[in-house]
Amino acid sequence: MKRLLPVCAGLAMAVLACSAEARPLTDDGRLTFSGFGTLGLIHNNLDEADFTRDISQPKGAGEGWSARTDSMLGAQVGYRFTDELDTVVQGISRYHDSGDFSPEVSWAYLRYRPDPGVQLRVGRLGWDVYQLSDSRYVGYAYPWVRPPVDHFGTLQLTYIDGVDVTFKQPVGSDLVLLKLYTGRSDGHVFIGEGIEADFDVDKVYGGHVDYETGPWRFRAGYTEVESGITFSGDVPDQLDAQFDQIRAFNPFFDLTADGVLGDAFGFDRLKLYSLGAVYDQGPFQLQAMWNRSKTSADGAVDSGFVSAGYRIDRVTPYLVYSQVETTSDGEGGSEGDFKQKTYSVGARYDVTANMALKAQLDRVHIQRPGFLWRDIDSDWNGGWGSIFSLGLDFIF
Amino acid sequence: MNRVQRLLIASTLSATLVAAVPASADIAVVVNANSGIDHLTRSDAVNIFMGRYRKLPTGNVALPVDSASLKARFYRALVNKDLAEINSYWARLVFSGEASPPQQIASSDDVHQLVLQNMNALSYVDSAHVPDDMHVVLTLGE
Repeated sequence: MKRLLPVCAGLAMAVLACSAEARPLTDDGRLTFSGFGTLGLIHNNLDEADFTRDISQPKGAGEGWSARTDSMLGAQVGYRFTDELDTVVQGISRYHDSGDFSPEVSWAYLRYRPDPGVQLRVGRLGWDVYQLSDSRYVGYAYPWVRPPVDHFGTLQLTYIDGVDVTFKQPVGSDLVLLKLYTGRSDGHVFIGEGIEADFDVDKVYGGHVDYETGPWRFRAGYTEVESGITFSGDVPDQLDAQFDQIRAFNPFFDLTADGVLGDAFGFDRLKLYSLGAVYDQGPFQLQAMWNRSKTSADGAVDSGFVSAGYRIDRVTPYLVYSQVETTSDGEGGSEGDFKQKTYSVGARYDVTANMALKAQLDRVHIQRPGFLWRDIDSDWNGGWGSIFSLGLDFIF
Repeated sequence: MNRVQRLLIASTLSATLVAAVPASADIAVVVNANSGIDHLTRSDAVNIFMGRYRKLPTGNVALPVDSASLKARFYRALVNKDLAEINSYWARLVFSGEASPPQQIASSDDVHQLVLQNMNALSYVDSAHVPDDMHVVLTLGE
């Protein structure tokens, strides 16, 4: 906490000195540099489980204060070859699956826009699977301290290496947008105590249709993810040790932990169906989203949220309700499934035109503990938790 | 002069004064006078400046230009948002690689020059001070 304060002050001053737009680094304006970041502090009142922002985080925020969960820094360099062709490279440092803040290349693509109605991108691209999913680390872009964890926290991937194409067509004063994408990816997620899954994504493909009318933006999307899954942690290690013992007597015994767990979870083929609506008119902001992810084992993750905010001068108070539920066999409610609901209240204060301060209280009703929590007490079967968060978001 | 006449003259005078010295003028969206663009709707202007769809009625790609001195008034009039909200909106699009914000120009002279040189450029000026070589395609009331 004490070490963080001078860093905060230094960053705040650096941000104040910057303009809000991507700054040209050359006289002709072809090379630009810009960035974003968040300094986040979180307080968890639960001693039974640690709070995470998403399933890629190996450790959560335990009882007391933590700055690990939400703090991050991103930077982007762009170069414009012609009015039609440009390139963008973006890196981010945040607490993720490697267990530290090691930076990674989040995007690196070539973009071709031959016409206002067509855009083609090739390279490493944001995974635009839900509305806002490809900007979920850019705190300055939304009112909340973090996007609703119940909805965005279960996403398996952050980027795809591939191609996407976007078509836009005006219809009267409305706009229809179609985006299609395909590529490969990888991800590493924490499923529960002593069990992690490594996604080697051979194929991820999908698309969405957006309809923009006045202040409304609607979206319907569909994505499939085909992966080779490798499990690690104490659970698969113990399983494999037991299978090895059986194999010592029966050489034809061919079960492996990867095979058994793979069949049980069905992560090798995921189908994601999503709907979203965003309303943004003057001081009003409304968002509502819903997603169902189906596994090949007939399991599902259902999630959704509703958020409303109203800006009064520099302050935007907001309310959010979100929920997530997993069902492992289509029946629902069985042992090992996860279910929780979150009621959030918060406010964003725009300090300057490139820096915002936020405070948020989440009341989480954990009905069945699961994969968004870490270090869960084995005898804990849920309850209410309070997460209080402070965030300082900036762009430069 | 009776009281009614005096009142009429007084009100006419004050109306003339108000018209001559507007407390806050409107914002004019302008293009090059030779661009061939006669008129834009408000939703055309929103599409172009907010990066949703940048095609001009001529079929060319629009080049929107933000003028620093009038930027806050312009976006307040166009979409009823202040600059922090506009920056927040662009943060989402820029850092997801979906669209780029308008070109940012600090001085109104440079904006004028750019519009004179580029048939696809559009920007905005105070409607009380529209240069002769610019054409107003849309007026936004404040």
